[in-house]
Amino acid sequence: MNPQAAAGHVQLAWVRALREPALTLGWTLPDWERVVRLARRLRLLARLAASVEAAGLLDTVPPPARRHLVAEMRLSQWRTRAMVWVLDRVGATLAGHAGPLVLLKGAAYIGQDLSIALGRLPSDVDILVPRAQLATAQAELVRGGWEAIELDAHDTRYYREWSHEVPPMHHPLHRVELDLHHNILPPVARMRVDADRLLARLQPSKWPAWQVLHPLDQVLHSAAHLFQDSEARDRVRDLVDLDGLLRHFGQNPAFWAELTPRARELGLAEPLALASHFCVGWLGTPVPPEALRDIAASGPGRLKRAWLLPTLSSILTPAPADRAAPWHQDVAALLFLARHHRNRMPLRLLVPHLWHKLRPQPLSAADAVMPGRKE
Amino acid sequence: MTSSPPALPRNPTLSGTALPSIRRALRGAGLRLDFGAAALRLHSDSAAMAAQLQAVYGNFDFDVSADWADLHVEVMRQRGLRRWFAPQVVFRCDGREPFVPFPADSPLPLTEWGVNWLIGQRLNDLLLLHAGAVERDGLALLLPAVPGSGKSTLTAALSLRGWRLLSDEFGAYDPAQGAFRALLKPVALKNQSIEVIRSFEPGAGLGPEFPKTRKGTVAHLGADARSFARRREGALPGAVILPKWSAGSSTRLEPMEPDRLFAALAYNAFNYTTLGAVGFDAAVHLTRVCPGWTLVYSELDDALAAIDALWSGVVARHAAARPMQPEAAA
Repeated sequence: MNPQAAAGHVQLAWVRALREPALTLGWTLPDWERVVRLARRLRLLARLAASVEAAGLLDTVPPPARRHLVAEMRLSQWRTRAMVWVLDRVGATLAGHAGPLVLLKGAAYIGQDLSIALGRLPSDVDILVPRAQLATAQAELVRGGWEAIELDAHDTRYYREWSHEVPPMHHPLHRVELDLHHNILPPVARMRVDADRLLARLQPSKWPAWQVLHPLDQVLHSAAHLFQDSEARDRVRDLVDLDGLLRHFGQNPAFWAELTPRARELGLAEPLALASHFCVGWLGTPVPPEALRDIAASGPGRLKRAWLLPTLSSILTPAPADRAAPWHQDVAALLFLARHHRNRMPLRLLVPHLWHKLRPQPLSAADAVMPGRKE
Repeated sequence: MTSSPPALPRNPTLSGTALPSIRRALRGAGLRLDFGAAALRLHSDSAAMAAQLQAVYGNFDFDVSADWADLHVEVMRQRGLRRWFAPQVVFRCDGREPFVPFPADSPLPLTEWGVNWLIGQRLNDLLLLHAGAVERDGLALLLPAVPGSGKSTLTAALSLRGWRLLSDEFGAYDPAQGAFRALLKPVALKNQSIEVIRSFEPGAGLGPEFPKTRKGTVAHLGADARSFARRREGALPGAVILPKWSAGSSTRLEPMEPDRLFAALAYNAFNYTTLGAVGFDAAVHLTRVCPGWTLVYSELDDALAAIDALWSGVVARHAAARPMQPEAAA
């Protein structure tokens, strides 16, 4: 939004190199050591590597840092291959499915060959079907070998009635988790999205079996995913995604004229305004002035901005790799979490839900992560 | 002599450094441990850490430089009420805590497991076979870990009998160089292996014993001074031996078919699938150039004699296969 905002974020200066890899030519070895550590934690190291490689600059990176870029690119390529394979198999499993099959988030970016698809580290696959066909799709997936995790009665009800997805599914052959959605936000949330409006404007992906959301809706989903979530710490990657989406789809002038009206129609004007604020201010995303005015005008009012923007700024600013998060970030994260819960369900559902979650749960073996081989 | 390079100024070793200095480094700028193919910068406020490190990294330089480190780890005392009745240490890397804490008197096993986990996750520029690795005559001998194999016992024994230690845990093959590289983490001996090595070589400088870990009792054998000094030297692929300790058996070496050899290498690796085609090509290359044997033994001295006996054949085979420089290559 203003250059001061960007200049205040010394920790994020390196993020510019994702789009301008020649900036890395000026980095010293200690600069690289700091960036490799932080970028890895933020899941942006392979993205940086891909961008440096695409510019033909990999050989200019000092060897101690270069090996980490090469290593992380291999990890990214492997995870991406694993995801594409899952999509191929799931597409075959659901071949008899009546309705549209929709890729969300990272899977959609890969399915459109967007530049932000490069250097991702996919660990789950998000897909969407119409709610009326959710049960059939789930049953077909189970027949195809996908297994749902076991849930207690409360969690089963939570997913069935209050959630926008079914419980994550696993497959013995695949190490990628499958998230089957019928909407992009929970149906009981304050911001309630009409999924039919999303389904009415689907676009083809590069795979015939799969479609993607309309570009406008991809941006709005990405914004809602970041700003309506429970935790936004260490999620600069999501901002970088939003920046990439806006730059890519924004090349079409009609995109900007339609963006705010579509956000209002779907009830997602607030996350869009927050996304635009941080993308423009921190990453210099080129948003036309008119669109910027419209987005801000339909976003949160002055009072809400006064607490929400500093809160988010504190949360989104990553702590340096060798220092603990500052205390104000913990406070901000708590505020953000409270807002998330308040937005997600009405109080009459939220209070019993949180009460259930607060009860002591037996520590499962999977929670007790021990150091050892292969994770 | 003009041809010999000037002697590099050497840092004192960890064993030659007083504990308070090591403690100060761990609490301050950090202690740098150079394993060969990767370096660690370690911070810790644990009271027990300095002495435990000194016992197993004694031959490493006392290095407090700000030079490049690949891994950055903090092993810190856990805050909060717990520290008064059951104190713990926690493993942190780049602001994350990937593991449950350990008892406060065992910072070394936590560090060892944690760092090995980080290496297995991150060094995807190398094919990381799960194998002990030692070197002689410029050639690497790999001892892949199949369950119950006792690869650590044999790796420790070989390193105590003149073989250069490359690694106990990682056969770290660098596809770009076509050579194995050192990752000088100490050999982790478990349970009865500790006594076996103690009686095999009473002078072996084992670190403290840690009872009741997830893998039983563990004690570490650190790299010797020569292995540390040559930590940057690679070793060409030499041979593969799948060891199996069997009570009372005589020493038997049997050649392995390439298909079994390939499986023993690739399917035992930490990151074979992650590397994709690079991993496959590397495993195929290793299978082609390395002869492989299974080894059943009960007596370490016998097993070492059998390995010595076949090694000259391995060296001759590689010398014959390597093209002469440069006419024969043309």
